[in-house]
Amino acid sequence: MSVQTSTAGRRRESRAPATARSAAPASAARRRRRVDPIYYAFLFPALAVFTLAITLPAVIGFFYSFTNSVGFGDFEFIGLRNYIALFRDPNILQAYLFTLGFALVTVILANVLAFALAVALTSRIRFRTTLRTIFVIPMVISGIIIAFVFKFLFANSLPAAGQALGIGVLSESILANENLAWIGIVIVTAWSTIPGAMLIYIAGLVTIPDELYEAAAIDGASGWQRLQRITLPMVSGFILINTILGFKGYLNAYDVIVGLTDGGPGTATTSIAMSIFKGFTGGDYGYQMANAAVFFVITVILAGIQLRLTAGKASFGA
Amino acid sequence: MSFYQSKREVIPHFSDLIDAFNREQSDFTYVHDTSTNLQAGFVRANPPDLALQNYNHEMSRFMERGALSDLADLPEAGRIRPEVLELVDWYPGYENRTSVIPYSVAAASVIYNKQLFAEHDVEIPTTWDELLSACETFQAADITPLYGTFSELWTITQGLFDYVVGGLIDSRDFFARLTEVGEDAGPNSEVSFQKNMLEPIQQMLELLPYFNKDARSRAYGDGNTAMANGTAAMYLQGPWALVEIEKAETDVELGSFPLPVTDDPEDRKIRVNIDLSLWIPEQADQHEGARQLLQHLMLPEIQFPYNELALAFSTTDDAPEVTDPRIAEMQPYYDEGRFYMGPSTLVPPTIPFGNYMQAIVLGAEPEPILAQIDSDFARLAYRA
Repeated sequence: MSVQTSTAGRRRESRAPATARSAAPASAARRRRRVDPIYYAFLFPALAVFTLAITLPAVIGFFYSFTNSVGFGDFEFIGLRNYIALFRDPNILQAYLFTLGFALVTVILANVLAFALAVALTSRIRFRTTLRTIFVIPMVISGIIIAFVFKFLFANSLPAAGQALGIGVLSESILANENLAWIGIVIVTAWSTIPGAMLIYIAGLVTIPDELYEAAAIDGASGWQRLQRITLPMVSGFILINTILGFKGYLNAYDVIVGLTDGGPGTATTSIAMSIFKGFTGGDYGYQMANAAVFFVITVILAGIQLRLTAGKASFGA
Repeated sequence: MSFYQSKREVIPHFSDLIDAFNREQSDFTYVHDTSTNLQAGFVRANPPDLALQNYNHEMSRFMERGALSDLADLPEAGRIRPEVLELVDWYPGYENRTSVIPYSVAAASVIYNKQLFAEHDVEIPTTWDELLSACETFQAADITPLYGTFSELWTITQGLFDYVVGGLIDSRDFFARLTEVGEDAGPNSEVSFQKNMLEPIQQMLELLPYFNKDARSRAYGDGNTAMANGTAAMYLQGPWALVEIEKAETDVELGSFPLPVTDDPEDRKIRVNIDLSLWIPEQADQHEGARQLLQHLMLPEIQFPYNELALAFSTTDDAPEVTDPRIAEMQPYYDEGRFYMGPSTLVPPTIPFGNYMQAIVLGAEPEPILAQIDSDFARLAYRA
């Protein structure tokens, strides 16, 4: 999991120069020649912590991916055997397919709903502040607790409702159904992550000046047109942030799944993070380090694609 | 001095013991550690000085890689029942060391409702056929014969799988031979899951019609509640569940009997595991202090009351018989060594065995899944 944070860190670094350039174009030339050393002093603690806590362990983990280590004690170098075994392992393949599919569906669902909620909660409705507070509550509850509560709902309340209404699919816990369990996980994950995305959208929406909407209203634009031509383009940067952060978070899915299904039924809902962590407790350290290394490469590629697709098109409001 | 013990239910019990021992002597001060990650402790070369912990595959790695010190010279090691000490060797050891001292053995079998058995005139079954007809009787009377909680993986492997398969095959021998086969595990190897496990698993599936219809979505807590309320006749769980059922404070009367899986009553055995064992890491800061506490904990007046409290069996020659009626029926099996360690506990934890068994119980074809387990084994041996 530590590997993941490092990709996020990189993204942040790569954005930083762009902001600096646009912020002070006039004095840029002079400043490039002589940088106040205090900036390096500011940078150092973060850099040191980042290197010690993230980069270094990642490199050490990469080293262990070529061994049969169980995490301590004696070990031997076994070359690429971990990697070869990895690509032949149907469980690992299944975990990748599940995690990618799950992340894709959840990121779309969560962002659509979060955006809709944000639009509703920035319009002039009654009890706006109260409603905002209520909608943020899921964010402050720990994932494992949410999972246990929902597990109970899925196992008892929902089937009871399904039986009463005569809906066959719902008359049994969807978590016990190999083909439907992922839907339960998507719903619960989306439910718990929507508030975070919603807050970012609200922050974006309030930066859009009212004059734009007034002008559009004078020109006779419909509500749909205003959304399409003004709101969406003005917050595209926030959409970008939410999709990248959301996707990255969903790829690391762990606690909600452990609480809901523990990777079951069968191995249908085992995520990559779960298989990596099980390797740690299961004495499969070297093998799952290889898995983590592959996972790291894949996420870097995915992040690269996301940034490329959206490069230069993002706007962070007015 | 750090003393590691994390079995949740008995943390207060051992905290009191440690406090008392700290007052009794002044050579060492012991700190009760209940939460540090053991694996991480070994990785950081800073494990506890003494641990009292469940003996399982995960911790057997500490032993296998020589991270635990030899305790053979302690007189306590000589007092352990040989057939219990033998259980330790089901996992790979290190240079003939006595790396762990078993402290508490949990015996698990079928928990049954004595009132329901009496009401419907059902005798405790001693053969497989008697078991099936007992199930039929209960089903005809509209009582759930067996209560299943298949949404929790460990309850499937611990109960249904281990009881049936552990009673049918010599699992220790099977896994030893499978380890020898190693990379070649598959349809043509000397032993393999698809060859040796298919029949036992098919027999196990014969019991499925007798479970509650919603077993696939029920969890462990639901099972305990159902047994406390007397809604089911039998429950494939160990003494830990009895402790939970007791909390409901109903007047249900429970007992335990070994699940019969053959036609010969003599074949009946119970499933055991070393619920707690004592060990001292090589890297302990203070071996002397650790050994003192170990010897203190092994005193009969300390060990026996603990096991009575935990509904478990003590491990020494002079251990008294258990008195609790809910587990007393297992005493002869324990005394005669008619027990086995659960075969599911011998599968390397990196293989998602519980998930596989759940898939089979929920209706997947066993053959491809058993083949998959073989290939998992082979891959594991390949990179070992």
